[in-house]
Amino acid sequence: MSDGSVSFRRVWKKFRYGEVHNSLRDLLPALGRRLIRSGAPPAQNLHSGDFWALRDVSFEVRPGEALGIIGPNGAGKSTVLKLLTRIVRPTRGGCTVRGRIGALIELSAGFHPDLTGRENIFLQGSIMGMHRGEIARKFDEIVDFAGIPDFIDTPVKRYSSGMHARLGFAIAAHLDPDVLIIDEVLAVGDAAFQQKAFGRIAEMRTQAVPLVVVSHQLDRIAQLCTKAILLNRGRVVHSGTPRETIAAYVGTTSSTADAITGDSATRIASMFVNGPAEVPSGGVITVMISGTVRPHWTGTRESVMLRVASVETGTTVFSTDTALSGIALPFGGAFTLEVELQLNVPANVYTIQSLVMDTLTSREVFPGPSAQVNVGEGIAFVGSVQMNPRLRMREGDGAAAPSDDTAPVV
Amino acid sequence: MTPAAKGRATAAASDEAGVATPEPARTSAAEPAYEASAEDETPPTYAQDLREAAVELWRFREMLYQLTLRDVRIRYKQAVIGFGWALLMPALVVISGCLVRYAMSRTTRTPLDLAGIASISVKALPWSFFVGTISFATQSLTGNLQLVSKVYFPRAVLPLAATLGQAFDAIIGAVVLALVLPFLGVHLSTALLWVPVLTLLLFLLTVAASLFLSCANLFFRDVKYIVQVMLTFGIFFTPVFFDPAMMGHRLARLIMLNPLSPLLEGLRLAVVEQHNLLLPLVASDGAVIWSPAYLVYATLWALLGLGASAMIFHRSEFVFAEYI
Repeated sequence: MSDGSVSFRRVWKKFRYGEVHNSLRDLLPALGRRLIRSGAPPAQNLHSGDFWALRDVSFEVRPGEALGIIGPNGAGKSTVLKLLTRIVRPTRGGCTVRGRIGALIELSAGFHPDLTGRENIFLQGSIMGMHRGEIARKFDEIVDFAGIPDFIDTPVKRYSSGMHARLGFAIAAHLDPDVLIIDEVLAVGDAAFQQKAFGRIAEMRTQAVPLVVVSHQLDRIAQLCTKAILLNRGRVVHSGTPRETIAAYVGTTSSTADAITGDSATRIASMFVNGPAEVPSGGVITVMISGTVRPHWTGTRESVMLRVASVETGTTVFSTDTALSGIALPFGGAFTLEVELQLNVPANVYTIQSLVMDTLTSREVFPGPSAQVNVGEGIAFVGSVQMNPRLRMREGDGAAAPSDDTAPVV
Repeated sequence: MTPAAKGRATAAASDEAGVATPEPARTSAAEPAYEASAEDETPPTYAQDLREAAVELWRFREMLYQLTLRDVRIRYKQAVIGFGWALLMPALVVISGCLVRYAMSRTTRTPLDLAGIASISVKALPWSFFVGTISFATQSLTGNLQLVSKVYFPRAVLPLAATLGQAFDAIIGAVVLALVLPFLGVHLSTALLWVPVLTLLLFLLTVAASLFLSCANLFFRDVKYIVQVMLTFGIFFTPVFFDPAMMGHRLARLIMLNPLSPLLEGLRLAVVEQHNLLLPLVASDGAVIWSPAYLVYATLWALLGLGASAMIFHRSEFVFAEYI
């Protein structure tokens, strides 16, 4: 059981744009001021050339909790981690970290290329705050975890980049931290190692080590975290469960997509999704799309389309449209299209986007509204499509013989 | 050994004895909670700051050791002359000094004697330690950009490791020097007891300069060029090749204002002239060669310099990552 914890209380952090004066002319006055004044950060007002990297950010992570921080580039995610790991100090507000911090950030920053793997383990370990005895005790485990026993006495400059990264992760993973901080390092090494690395982090979670994760891999956030915050331009714009926050994040990004200024005859006015807040995988929802078609429109070139995309990856997992389904749009006037969807997909957040397509040119001519749907755990399965499995077990002599209605495999 | 480390050691021992123990005790007891607040009530006093800096440094002593080890290892790995590196610099200084003195002896018609060579050797070693340390330490922070901008540790570890790495070389040099000096006519005396005192003062002064210059170079990148120029010409303003007394009364006193001068002169007088530094030494022409005040002067420089630069360093280290 860990007794570490993290808290951020109304933290503001100011940075500067561009180049700071750094010539010797400014040296003596600057150092003189530094000597006279206390360690507290200087002026708290915003001057020209300054910007707020964080504005009034508060959160708390207690043992057993895991906080995910998401947001677009430049939102202030890395600044939060720099504050937590004591690299920079807040301009306003306060932050407290209890217990030893294990930071899975820059895992091999201390490596020296000319030293052997063994020497670098001791060096990097000491940089992370471990003592010789502790490193020596965990040495074999680290080498084993990194999977480099044959290369341990080889200078790391001869390591492949994968070995380098694995060794860095292995050292950090054996720190036994009270608080764990992770920044986009889950993509280390090959698939097998990533699995192992993820397993190690999950193991620390079971020991109730409080965790702070920054990642663009939203599925990892959803898997690891108990709560999440969404940062945008230094502010917390959403905080809640990982799924909600991810949905909020994806909502903000998709709404900024450029509107297509088409002159389509068909317009979509609204879209509603009927279903529970969280649909179990395999569950059914109904989507109602209402719109109008310009009066006396006689062509059949336009088609109303429904597209379902994964929020994490952005890939379309499913799409259908009226032309494909053989449904004709009315010749002018209002319409409501009802689409029933069975969500045979893994648990995740999906975007449902309505739009109008020109079937001749395959171009999107009118972007309709979109909605998020939260798919939860239903039937347990692994993979990308839920195939409504029905498992039957036959025992005894008849087991080997195929039943009559089974088509022979050609 | 900290109490927590002791606890871990006993846990490991009982593990070996076959007793199933839970995972080793966490270090959180030894780990003070990190608290950073911009709304601090009262600014810390100098004493609090220095204490904090010392405590953090002590917590990261293992890193200091490993970084020093790294610097030493790298210098001797894949190197043609191996440990000869430690002797190369001082040997070059001694040879240059001998050449200068030889030229002087030809014009003044006073022969360069063994004591003269011994004097140059005794001063060449601390000088090359100082020069080597300053040039490495000045760039120790900027040269470890990845570490400074991404990982927390007391930043003083970097210039200190550069200093200790050079001290390792200086120790090898000192051993060789101790073997050579008897052949230059130096014999044992009680005055040699001044050597550790002066060495300590030199070390403190060097640490002070390392901390200040590494920090200054982080904020102002032209500092390293200025330092290089100073180190190149510094040998003319520091009594390494010559004794201040050779400069005449006035100039000698000016030369002794350089905080390194009393230390180097003190070493020469104690080792070569077997002079007790608590007593003044006056030449036959009345010129003051040594006064105990010089010792006080050098001590003040070392202690106050170290205090001030440690303070400047500690108070600015939390913005290093933003300026580097």
